[in-house]
Amino acid sequence: MSAEGGKSYVLFPLGEKRFALPAECVTELARPDSLQTFPHRTPLLAGVLVRRGRIVPVCDVAQVLVGPAAPPRKFYLIANCKIGQRQELTAIPVTGDCELATAALVPLTGKEPHYIQGLLDLGGEPVAIVALEILISMEAPA
Amino acid sequence: MKNARQVPAQAAPLVREDVIVFSVGEYKFAIAASVVKEIRGMEGLTQFTLGGISAKISKLAFTLERNGTTYFVVDAARHFQLSSSQPSRVMILRNGVTALLVDITDRILEITSLHALPRAFTHDERIWYRGLAVVNGAVLPIVNHNAFLNKAEYDILSSGLERVRGIVTV
Repeated sequence: MSAEGGKSYVLFPLGEKRFALPAECVTELARPDSLQTFPHRTPLLAGVLVRRGRIVPVCDVAQVLVGPAAPPRKFYLIANCKIGQRQELTAIPVTGDCELATAALVPLTGKEPHYIQGLLDLGGEPVAIVALEILISMEAPA
Repeated sequence: MKNARQVPAQAAPLVREDVIVFSVGEYKFAIAASVVKEIRGMEGLTQFTLGGISAKISKLAFTLERNGTTYFVVDAARHFQLSSSQPSRVMILRNGVTALLVDITDRILEITSLHALPRAFTHDERIWYRGLAVVNGAVLPIVNHNAFLNKAEYDILSSGLERVRGIVTV
């Protein structure tokens, strides 16, 4: 895979690890609002937020990306996610501050899960770029 | 984070609808007031134990005889797959033979918009709810009254009842 010059990513922490989303799909980083829950059966969805009159589902991707030992989530990273034919906002709980970065892509090894769409080289730290639409459609780990 | 962008709020479709708020376990729900015929206590309920059917439709808890009609009383806690509830009220629904067993019926309020359930929700809840209302900042799922007993479940009930009636007749 070749580097994409100038493409920006939002890096978000989940415990000790960092992951990335393409910056163009991220809309805001929000302080923890009151998560609202109601009965449902979709894995990974923790509930919804009400943001400026919109209802935003909260997808706790940490369960998949780092497992059950992830520390408490501090913020919600809100991103546009393509679900079916539509774009919808989705909130991801993250464990700390996020940052904007521009970095070169490094080749995938072929062993990554299918929800990893690329790898960034950030000074020797490989940071996985997450395909949010694939991740949120996954079943929760047992 | 730098470079944050705002997405303009998208208005939910405007509706004006009276709904009845009710609780099951720790959750609040609402149902269109227009589909509720009567709200009553639990007196008169008969345990539903029709050979084989009770196991197939485990959420069907009781029957209720009312003005010559047999209503099938669905336990809302089992329908929504909740682990705990303390049922005390029965909502008899119009235009059918379904009633709903809930913990508490609260109040009637008017909702003025109904948000579609976000598409990230992909499982049973897409059938359970017509949408979501926001009332004083709180999200309230508006239940789909047609989902409490679906056609397949009605078919199981009908065939079971016909079988039983046939045995009684013989």
